[in-house]
Amino acid sequence: MTPNLSKLLNALGLVAIDTVLVVAFADQLWFRDLPCPVCILQRAGFIAAAFGLALNLIYGPRPSHYGIAILGAVAGGIISAWQILVYIVPDSGSYGNAIFGLHLYTWALLMFALIVVGSAFMLLFDRQFAPTEPLVARPTLLPVTAIALLLLLAVGNVVSTLAICGLGVACPEKPSGYLIFNDNLSVTLLGKPS
Amino acid sequence: MMSLPFLLFACALGAAWTSRREAAMGFWVAGIVVFLVLFRIHATEVLNIGL
Repeated sequence: MTPNLSKLLNALGLVAIDTVLVVAFADQLWFRDLPCPVCILQRAGFIAAAFGLALNLIYGPRPSHYGIAILGAVAGGIISAWQILVYIVPDSGSYGNAIFGLHLYTWALLMFALIVVGSAFMLLFDRQFAPTEPLVARPTLLPVTAIALLLLLAVGNVVSTLAICGLGVACPEKPSGYLIFNDNLSVTLLGKPS
Repeated sequence: MMSLPFLLFACALGAAWTSRREAAMGFWVAGIVVFLVLFRIHATEVLNIGL
């Protein structure tokens, strides 16, 4: 596998993760399905894993970058698995809307597993790590767009999470609205909803 | 506080894009630590399963 093919596959992987985060945002904004605290953390797990792929696009493929992607996906996957276990007993409830029969946290665990397997698969091809590329390569449209979208989604999640949880450590387990839009703005921002 | 991991990961991406690789790694590690602490705080339900 050449470094260029590796970069293309990393860019496509990053686009896939961007798409997951866009779908999560669409579900939140369009269907008013507000994310719970651990759901928010799973989004952060996707960004943590995507950072490894972004490093591959910026600096070229390196084993350590795939390691970052795997560690981020494992961290996010632990949270998804925990949430699945909370609701795994029949009639113990669920959280949020189901998409194609599975809840978002179940889809998330599948995606995290896919990132781990995909990164491990990419690590099998040593030729991509050979320093054959010129030091300053002209960035192409797909990687730049994928990284820019990831950055935008990370910043968007900062704003969204601030609106849902405020500045406090504790966030409502089942948020019913945006704390930031409550009347007592100064109190809710400090994490003490009235 | 819950938005802190996103902020740190955004900073990591920004630092990486502006060729500050060491700073980017630092932001990412800090983001992971905050992420795990927040999970510990919010994982309050007892799992009703036998292992």
